[in-house]
Amino acid sequence: MQGILFPRGVVEGRENLQAYRARGGYEALAQALKGFSPGQILQEIADSGLRGRGGAGFPTGKKWAFTAESTETPHYMVLNGGEDEPGSKKDRLLMENLPHLVLEGLILASYAVKASKAYLYINAIYEEATRSMSDALAEAKAAGYWGEKINAGGDFSLEILLSPAPANYVAGEDTAALEVIEGKQPLPRQKPPFPATAGLFGKPTAVNNVETLANVAPIIAHGAKWYRSFGTAESPGTMIFSMNEEVHRPGVYELPFGTPLRYLIEDCGGGVKSGNRIKAIQPGGPSSAYLPGEKIDIPLDHNSVRQAGSAIGCGVVHPITTESCIVEETLRIAEFFSVESCGQCPACRMETNMLAAMLKKVQQGQGGQPILDQFAKVIAFNKGKGFCNLVNMPGPPIESALRLFRADFDSHLANGRCPQG
Amino acid sequence: MKRICLVCQNVDCKNRGADELMKELQQRVKDQGIDDLEVRPYLCFGACQEGPNVVLYPEKSWYAGVKKGDLDDIMGHLAGGPNVTRLDTIDGSLKELIYQLLDTGVF
Repeated sequence: MQGILFPRGVVEGRENLQAYRARGGYEALAQALKGFSPGQILQEIADSGLRGRGGAGFPTGKKWAFTAESTETPHYMVLNGGEDEPGSKKDRLLMENLPHLVLEGLILASYAVKASKAYLYINAIYEEATRSMSDALAEAKAAGYWGEKINAGGDFSLEILLSPAPANYVAGEDTAALEVIEGKQPLPRQKPPFPATAGLFGKPTAVNNVETLANVAPIIAHGAKWYRSFGTAESPGTMIFSMNEEVHRPGVYELPFGTPLRYLIEDCGGGVKSGNRIKAIQPGGPSSAYLPGEKIDIPLDHNSVRQAGSAIGCGVVHPITTESCIVEETLRIAEFFSVESCGQCPACRMETNMLAAMLKKVQQGQGGQPILDQFAKVIAFNKGKGFCNLVNMPGPPIESALRLFRADFDSHLANGRCPQG
Repeated sequence: MKRICLVCQNVDCKNRGADELMKELQQRVKDQGIDDLEVRPYLCFGACQEGPNVVLYPEKSWYAGVKKGDLDDIMGHLAGGPNVTRLDTIDGSLKELIYQLLDTGVF
């Protein structure tokens, strides 16, 4: 299938400036800076229907408009390369192999939101990605793609700086990223205000995921209409999906939105290694609800996955086969969120710790049937009570697991072990 | 079953002195020889704004906003005296949630 970010399939190795230019790289930026206003660039992105790839799927044009229209100055741009979602590899791959595609998108985005300074916030354990982006910054600076007065009118200057991101989950949250760039601990801020109007140093700031920004230059180069020829009406374009060790061919796969989930798992991933029946699929990372295995033919786009009962998130697709126990799966997820909760919001501490403790009880066969009724109550009690969304994250997998795979829970409560033994 | 006096040790309660309160309660229970009662930490009762929180189980009494000056009255209750109702300020729905969790053995 033809891709947008990887037009000839996932590339091996780093694409340098020369190779990127040889395939038309930086032409979109040159055109934009010569003949288009920031508002026109923003409008093209809005018309393309590009949605954020960090998990929430918020329309990028809408997000940028809040920043661009703010009269407060200066404006900032942040590339969010925290990528702490377990199993997600796409942002690292883009930064390692296609650094100029990412950088051109960042510069175009900075122009559209009228930012004078941009930060590359990159997971500190991604040494190769950091080196790749740092080298790209130097190459692009020498070529005049960013710096002082780079547009035709001479009124657009952009400074770009690197900022290492701590390698913990919550550090990838957009306001926690802003705190880190400001030199503070990675603790999410209360929202509103949102970063788009009051972000870095209290100023309007657009924070975008790496994959989101990688889509910008192709959209500006080929136009919104071309972009909309990929994917579906409400989820235009492609998305990079990550598959892990459960399948024969783990890796990242760029597919148009709307591609059947089965195609990703079977044709791209080569099917599940165990060869057993797929009983559940988590289509959007650890905070997404489980889908029953029978939903394997749903299209991978925001609406279809939501209608099926889950979320596409950042595209980490996790198939679970019949030899796996959902109690063990959800316990791992609950323990992950309990460890990764930053601890500043009481409700999040209470909920994540409590759910992990409760699932541990169930795993050990304690608590009886009444404990199963308590999960929904604990989740409902704490819903929406945190600064960031982490407090809402363990709920969907746990509640869907209880609804769809009650037999696994019953087996643990009755025998202290999984139905599979 | 031994009676349990659970003292919340989540951050808010701890910041308000829950750890010292727990140690003091443990010492006093020991000194007074109340053998059928154990004072132990609890991960969180979800009433962080009203801490430090102390819950007696299985009798299900809740003391919120406990201060050192309340310990004489609480000890009186633990030793068989009257409940300290002035410290029972928690919303009924939260109490129900927490008591149900305790009933299922989540300690």
